[in-house]
Amino acid sequence: MTAKEDRLVSVIIPVTTRHSEVADLLREYKAGLENTGHSYEFVYVLDSGLPRVRESLEKLKAEGEPLKVVILAKWFGEGTALAAGFANSAGDIILTLPAFRQVQPDEIGRLLELLADETDMVVAQRYPRLDPTFNRIASKIFHALLRTTLDFPFGDLGCGVRAFKRKILDELQVYGDLAVFLPLLAHQQGFKVAECRTAQARDDAFRRVYSPKIYLQRLLDILTFIFLVRFTKKPLRFFGLVGTTIFAIGGIATLWLVFERLFLGVALADRPALFLASLMIVLGIQMLAVGLIGELIIFTHAKDIKEYNIAEIIE
Amino acid sequence: MDKIDLSVVVPLFNEEESVGHLHRAISEVMSGQERPYEIILVDDGSKDRTFEIAKGLAQEDPHLRVVRFRRNSGQTPAMVAGIEQARGEIIVTMDGDLQNDPTDIPRFIDKIEEGFDIVVGWRYNRQDKLVTRVLPSVIANWMISKVTGVPIKDNGCSLKAYRGSLIKSIPLYSEMHRFIPAMMSLAGVKISEIKVKHHARKFGMSKYGLSRIYRVLLDLLFIRMVVLWCERPIQSFTLLAGIPTIVGLGCLAYALVEALMIDGPASFIMFGLAVLYTALAVFLVALGLLGQLIYESGNVKTESFALLTAQSSVSTDASKVVQT
Repeated sequence: MTAKEDRLVSVIIPVTTRHSEVADLLREYKAGLENTGHSYEFVYVLDSGLPRVRESLEKLKAEGEPLKVVILAKWFGEGTALAAGFANSAGDIILTLPAFRQVQPDEIGRLLELLADETDMVVAQRYPRLDPTFNRIASKIFHALLRTTLDFPFGDLGCGVRAFKRKILDELQVYGDLAVFLPLLAHQQGFKVAECRTAQARDDAFRRVYSPKIYLQRLLDILTFIFLVRFTKKPLRFFGLVGTTIFAIGGIATLWLVFERLFLGVALADRPALFLASLMIVLGIQMLAVGLIGELIIFTHAKDIKEYNIAEIIE
Repeated sequence: MDKIDLSVVVPLFNEEESVGHLHRAISEVMSGQERPYEIILVDDGSKDRTFEIAKGLAQEDPHLRVVRFRRNSGQTPAMVAGIEQARGEIIVTMDGDLQNDPTDIPRFIDKIEEGFDIVVGWRYNRQDKLVTRVLPSVIANWMISKVTGVPIKDNGCSLKAYRGSLIKSIPLYSEMHRFIPAMMSLAGVKISEIKVKHHARKFGMSKYGLSRIYRVLLDLLFIRMVVLWCERPIQSFTLLAGIPTIVGLGCLAYALVEALMIDGPASFIMFGLAVLYTALAVFLVALGLLGQLIYESGNVKTESFALLTAQSSVSTDASKVVQT
């Protein structure tokens, strides 16, 4: 970064179920950020009450720490907590940090250094990974999936350490759980996203065994994201493809059954296959109709949807 | 800001070799018009030096404006962005690959001045590969004109001229630029189609292939629906629901006849089918109502386009296209 221009960095820490001792971690983060030459504001977002965290944050505040604490009324998930943090911060640069030790705190300053003029976002990649083999393989599969389906070239979407410029938020509509996918969204929208290898914290390397529900949840997240990115503007492309396929299968099956009835003398009325084929025709038409309705919604709101992102205008 | 009469909008994607020629050719034609004009180049996230070259040109030419996208967004969004930036009363759009000839532009402008709302180019002598480009395009155009009722021979030609206030109010997204004439016909605009020159590609590669057909088909289906919706709102979906109703009733009749005439158990399958198809009919009517609701609450109203046309009170014949 050129010279040491003093910019306000908003450090946003969403606190969910997994969190370390607040006071210790804050001290470590502050130490890590000390020599970067920026000024900081710390914004904690508590996802639901979390009375003990709140207590210790209030204690820190009483001791004179300049903290901002946002408390969500109920459990909304990390994405929403982040979005609440974005809305309640003022800095040009936003740095999100997890509420537990995920990377070595003294490495965090490097992200801000990398966030130079040309780069819009820097995401940390925990490297080398200290996790047990099982978690590492699960993570590899997850990211391979991201790479092939969404062309996302980075290796650690699960790491909450990210630094980016506020203009990203101004240009992307970040709502709901999408904040978790912010690097993905930014990359897709043509922002320059860089990756920074940071040492993983020892605490982070324990064996995590999630329930199947969590894995399913992640898979659904990716599917939602693919749908949002690829088809939100053209719902008929998606529903039309699925609908016509089902319709075609049903139609061909019906024709075959009718052919058998007419020319081969096989009775038609008592065959469950006829029912199945008709069901597919009906389902196909319904899919197409739903796609048309989706398309109509986009069409009538086309003026509110921006499909492009202007980087600059030269006159 | 000075009043500008004419805007030329050109989307560019990886056209570093063409940009210079293009700018020179358009400037030559436009300066001959002796009216205030502007050229808007939209760089659709090119990976090559298109933007740097265009930027350099813009520093020397006060008529030139360059809009740069962060990422590649497609031809229609690029045109939309250009049209939104354009300040001219007449907006001309064209391709950035030098296949359209800028010397055709004055004829387009004349047509608009004559009182047409949109002038469409017809590449009557296309210089593209027959099987992969021209043939699909001929089929697509034939279908588009049949389905939309607007007999334009070449919907895919980018060289078009519009009345500025009108085109700015048309919902454009995705690959809708192909359907602008059809959409505008809803408002009863006057459309003119004129023959334009078409050159073989000198530089770069063609960016579109066969895969478009499927998308065009779906878009067409949708446009057809919008056209229907605008003309005969609920009736159209109810008519569509008539088909499954008939099928369902047929199945019911079959089942009843079988049950009453022939001794034996009634066909559950046929009864089931009757219920299934009737349910589909009800579903379609319900969706038709829902669609109507969405359409009414949305901000696209064909009536509002009509107010922007040149002679909205005179011209109500939507499908009238003048060929020259």
